[in-house]
Amino acid sequence: MSSLISASGLSKNYGDKLALDNISFEINEGAPVALVGPNGAGKTTLFSLMCGYIFPSAGELQILGNKPGSRQLFGQLAALPQDAQLDPRFSISHQLTFYGQLQGLSKSEANKESERVLELVGLSDVLKQKPMDLSHGMRKRATIAQALLGKPRIVMLDEATAGLDPIHAREVRELVSALSSEATFILSSHDLSELERLCGQVLHLDQGVLTEHSAQSRVSDNTHFFTLQLNQSYPNVEQVLQQLQNVNRVYMSQSKEYVVEYQKSDSAFDISLLECCHEQGWQYRQLINGHTLENQIFHKR
Amino acid sequence: MHPKRVAHIAGFELVRLFLTKRGLLSVGAFLICWLLILRYPIAESGTLLSSTEFAGFFDSVFGAIGLSKLLTWAESELAVYWLIALYSFPSFCLFLSSDQNVGDKQRGTLRFLTLRASRSEILFGRFLGQVLILALLILFTLGATLAVLSFRDPSLFATALPRSLSLFAYLLISVLPFIALMGFFNTFAGTARSAFVFAVLFFAGGGILVSLVVWQIPALGFLNLAFPGYQLDQMAGQNAGALLGIGLPLGQTFILLLLAQRVFARSAL
Repeated sequence: MSSLISASGLSKNYGDKLALDNISFEINEGAPVALVGPNGAGKTTLFSLMCGYIFPSAGELQILGNKPGSRQLFGQLAALPQDAQLDPRFSISHQLTFYGQLQGLSKSEANKESERVLELVGLSDVLKQKPMDLSHGMRKRATIAQALLGKPRIVMLDEATAGLDPIHAREVRELVSALSSEATFILSSHDLSELERLCGQVLHLDQGVLTEHSAQSRVSDNTHFFTLQLNQSYPNVEQVLQQLQNVNRVYMSQSKEYVVEYQKSDSAFDISLLECCHEQGWQYRQLINGHTLENQIFHKR
Repeated sequence: MHPKRVAHIAGFELVRLFLTKRGLLSVGAFLICWLLILRYPIAESGTLLSSTEFAGFFDSVFGAIGLSKLLTWAESELAVYWLIALYSFPSFCLFLSSDQNVGDKQRGTLRFLTLRASRSEILFGRFLGQVLILALLILFTLGATLAVLSFRDPSLFATALPRSLSLFAYLLISVLPFIALMGFFNTFAGTARSAFVFAVLFFAGGGILVSLVVWQIPALGFLNLAFPGYQLDQMAGQNAGALLGIGLPLGQTFILLLLAQRVFARSAL
């Protein structure tokens, strides 16, 4: 795996406000990477720094071995910046063809490429329309399409599914999943379950401070976790689960959701857990092997 | 800078003006104004300026304001065109080129562009696009004036053509610093309107300030050279040398573009 992005001691101030505080991380080629955090945590600042829209106050940032915004990255790094809009005066295909030409494609190649990416996001039938004639969701998909032009190695999507209906949000997720072998996606979203499904590495920003997580739950050598989500609230769940063999501790992470920490043994603990649910008459909704991303980030216990 | 990307960006500016509704409306308004100018001052100039009745009057008025050389032109339509175009194109170009980058910056479209072209390429591409637009508009109005002139006296066409080419070159060079000035204001203005307001403040406020300074310290008279169009009065009467008529606007353009490039390269998008 080669390093695509590396940041070291990166800070960004807006006047007195510290938006990013001495963060360091590395992103390698491969599975999509999630960037999560509450509003104002510094996600868009980090995206903007990586795209070269703004400049760091301190530290170093390298994208494919180059400074952000350098010409070597044209066509290699694509992005959907939050709230960026296409020009309302031109048709979508006209603008995408223009972008393709700037990326070095000939007029006919750029034309074909814009048709291809618009088809990917399900907008083949409106390619001659202007952005203002489209719904919010369609406009969003058109801006996602511009990020897929050519063969970028890194695609950064800031809140790509925000404002999309569930069907199109799902289509975008499927698209990211399907294209993740061709490019490394960096996604920011408030939908943690979406990121959990798509991403391997998770960068969590809070008040400008970065922590890293794995979307595939943290597992130590001896201690393992299951997250049990029940359909409704039942009495004494924690006490009953605590009685199971090899269980170290049980706690309620949120309403109707329990984290069970257990010691690995030869027996299949998940089977015991499900049998216990059956015996108690508990209807379970989901059994997750490990922690949910949400619990990893927000319920550190 | 990659010349192909600069050319694509410049070409897109032409499309923006000639193939969009808003652009076509601006062109339409421009054409109507020039139709009136061609029909009245320019078309009537041939009769008026060659009339013996008014000869003395024009001699004294044009002489008093340093325009007597223009009266010696047999192509009087071109003389009137020159006077009107020399002052109207710079003002029109302040309006026309007030939104070089600021609209795209506000909308976020510039963020898509900077992933595909450098900021310098965008800045110079847009500048070049505006220059091409102005060149086309000047050529169009000049061509129409030539047509009016040839209609009155076809024999004048042969001498009017080379003179027109020279006027075209001088006019185009004169508008360059105005476009560059708007490009510079576009690097930090919030909207096209505020870029235009900056331009008005620059010319009005800056002009007053420099006049006061020069009044107190006459040695600082060179500060006037900072204002695009400083040479227009001299040029109007064909009294400006090459240094003033060509060197000054080219120098101003170079400095303004350099300043714009420096500010744009460091600004947050």
